[in-house]
Amino acid sequence: MLSDVITPDLFAAALRIATPLALAAIGGTICERSGIVNIALEGIMLIGAFFGTATVLATGSPWLGVIVAVLAGVAISAVHAVASVNLRTDQVVSGTAINLLALGLTGFLMELWYGHPGTTQPIPTLQPVFRIGAMGEGFLGEVWRWINGVFLSHTPIVYLAIIIAIGAQWALYHTRWGLRLRALGEHPRAVDTAGVSVARGRWVAVLMSGALGGLAGANLSIEQVGVFQEGFTNGRGYIALAANIFGRWTPIGSYLASLLFGFADALQIKLQPFRDVIDLPPEFFLMVPYVVTVVVLAGVIGRAVGPAQVGVPYEKG
Amino acid sequence: MPVLELREVTKVFPGVIANDKVSLVLEEREIVALLGENGAGKSTLMNIVYGLLSADQGEILVDGQPVKIRSSRQAIDLGIGMVHQHFMLVEPLTVTENIVLGREPGRLGIIDMKAARERVAEISERYGLRVDPDAKISELEVGLQQRVEILKALYQGARVLILDEPTAVLTPQEVRELFAVVRSLVDEGLSVVFITHKLEEVMAVADRIVVMRDGSVVGEVRPSETDEIGLARLMVGRDVVLRIDKEPSQCGDVVLEIRDLAVKSDQELDAVAGVSFTVCGGEIVAIAGVSGNGQTELVEALVGLRSPQSGSISLKGTDITHASARSSIEVGVSHIPEDRHRRGLVLPFNLAENLVLGDHRLKPYATRGVMHPREITAMAKKRIEDYDIRTPSEKVLASSLSGGNQQKVVVAREIGRNPELLVAAQPTRGLDVGAIEFVHRQILGERSAGKAVLLISLELEEVLSLADRVLVMYEGRIVKEFVAEEADAETLGYYMTGGGGTKLDDGADVSPTGSEVGA
Repeated sequence: MLSDVITPDLFAAALRIATPLALAAIGGTICERSGIVNIALEGIMLIGAFFGTATVLATGSPWLGVIVAVLAGVAISAVHAVASVNLRTDQVVSGTAINLLALGLTGFLMELWYGHPGTTQPIPTLQPVFRIGAMGEGFLGEVWRWINGVFLSHTPIVYLAIIIAIGAQWALYHTRWGLRLRALGEHPRAVDTAGVSVARGRWVAVLMSGALGGLAGANLSIEQVGVFQEGFTNGRGYIALAANIFGRWTPIGSYLASLLFGFADALQIKLQPFRDVIDLPPEFFLMVPYVVTVVVLAGVIGRAVGPAQVGVPYEKG
Repeated sequence: MPVLELREVTKVFPGVIANDKVSLVLEEREIVALLGENGAGKSTLMNIVYGLLSADQGEILVDGQPVKIRSSRQAIDLGIGMVHQHFMLVEPLTVTENIVLGREPGRLGIIDMKAARERVAEISERYGLRVDPDAKISELEVGLQQRVEILKALYQGARVLILDEPTAVLTPQEVRELFAVVRSLVDEGLSVVFITHKLEEVMAVADRIVVMRDGSVVGEVRPSETDEIGLARLMVGRDVVLRIDKEPSQCGDVVLEIRDLAVKSDQELDAVAGVSFTVCGGEIVAIAGVSGNGQTELVEALVGLRSPQSGSISLKGTDITHASARSSIEVGVSHIPEDRHRRGLVLPFNLAENLVLGDHRLKPYATRGVMHPREITAMAKKRIEDYDIRTPSEKVLASSLSGGNQQKVVVAREIGRNPELLVAAQPTRGLDVGAIEFVHRQILGERSAGKAVLLISLELEEVLSLADRVLVMYEGRIVKEFVAEEADAETLGYYMTGGGGTKLDDGADVSPTGSEVGA
């Protein structure tokens, strides 16, 4: 049984499942580092997924769909930016409003554009980047099967997410943008008195998280599932926020935390067929990734200290 | 030509004229002290210069040229730097990162950290402001953090440096270091505006003193032409008694008795290491010491906020060694905490609520958990009257009062409770002379009423002016005891800093006097 569970496929699935979480989590990291809580990631993902899918349905081009998904994420996050940066509303309220709006809007547009609720027609998806067959024999062949299976079997956004994680981590600690971002969430007035606009910095961060949330939605619909389904983000935006905290507000940390969740989810999927052996109800398996999240958040990491001024609107003067 | 000139600057906030036609001139290489009580409009004026606020009327000239300063960026570009009272430092970031923030060296948005570090090292070398460029701000002491703030302004190219109440958070030793730094900055060609309400500081450091009251400039003097009493009169607008005369102490029964008390700090260190003393009714005993020598922990143990490791505390014979904060209030301990914002007040609560805290469960303010607003309001109105708290009403939030009035609220509550023992920890911290006089009178009033007072203060002036007996605390122990008449600032300072060959006041050698007491 073990050899049926521990396969290249398991780890490949972990990477796949981690991707939308990681993208949204990195979006959450950037946003919270600027001092804005972005609980709206769930809704942003959904909006991105919907408009991405709609674009593919209309044009047949998956790549165009990805671009529109990102733009849709940016557009809806602008609402959050106006509310939390300019109007200084409570960021959790604004984020929750966007999540509810996303559910309602996508459902409404389903009816309006496609005449039915639920699920859209299937769309052409983005295909794996590399297509390399078996190579070598014996032990070497086995090694190649693992490398190929785990790392070289993926669609573009899976790789893009890894590049974004590394790039964002580097940028956070080596660029002007990164330094200012780190300062923004801790002590916005210090940034202001250093002659740098707090509002602009926070706007950029919120829009970036919107773009990443939209990209996460595109990965879900245009790469993984191949349809849009109402509400199919299914709490991933919230898991992403947890991953951001577990990852201690760093992009690579967010990615690795998402990977842990992805692995737990992949494992439970792999274990499903063995229910007769393990004799537990199916709900138990479904529960595992969430239990892992709770245990990790509550127990393993201890007290995680986020940016000091996160969630606090900034007022000049 | 002056480097900075303000002409008839006026700023009106809803209901108050914060600055009324204020004119000010700062010459090159000059230290101008802007002296005034809290709320006199000093900080408002300087925030206008630094672009954080905009003036309603008036003109600002830099190097003789009229300028409009709409943002901090513009102020920085004009060579104006400001060290704010509350530091503008990002705690988790390093010294270098904080200093270069906003003007990071590098290309294409990538920060050249090596160049940044070198530039910081160069400036700190040139001005003699030594600090580890890679240390995190959160690891630095307050004095060093302030140094980073000054370095930041210098890095940004400041020629005019505004220091807003720079000594409020510093120990006396750090204050002396700051003065030396300020003088060396002026030697290097800078001009400094020094905002303060402390008289001895302006006398020590300023070339010229501009006094503000109620938003207007009421006088301009040179330190050589005046003295502290004259300055105080100018600043407050009436005669102020800096050192209140008091009658000899009428020592009654022992109220507080502490035996071999040992208390651990948050870091599990022996903050108080075997302290014994008594305070009797009608007596003020002061604990003098440099900040961080166990005073905070001693006070916390006394008022029930921290449990001692060993030893005993008793109040009029009742053991309160392990009493909770509530039962310690019940037996008659009142506490003016050293940090009025953190412990003294609930800032978002109104004055009536703040005044009833601690007694809020008791009759007549509450019965069986239900509070009686009418009784509370009546009490609040009376205390606002009795303690001269300047406020439109008791419904005003504590956060909106000036520091002096906030402290009056704390004093009103703690003394109004009619305690047996008043523990006053740095009761005049951050207050101006008028408010200091008020608080001192209240403390002396407790003494006249036969109550015991334990005063903890970092200000030697305050210790010498109030205390009947002075205990010097150093590294968790009482190292010296004086009766007030025997004590003077030099001798106290000598024992406060460990009593071994320390120098005070720019090199004046100090020799210990006074009688030895077993430590």
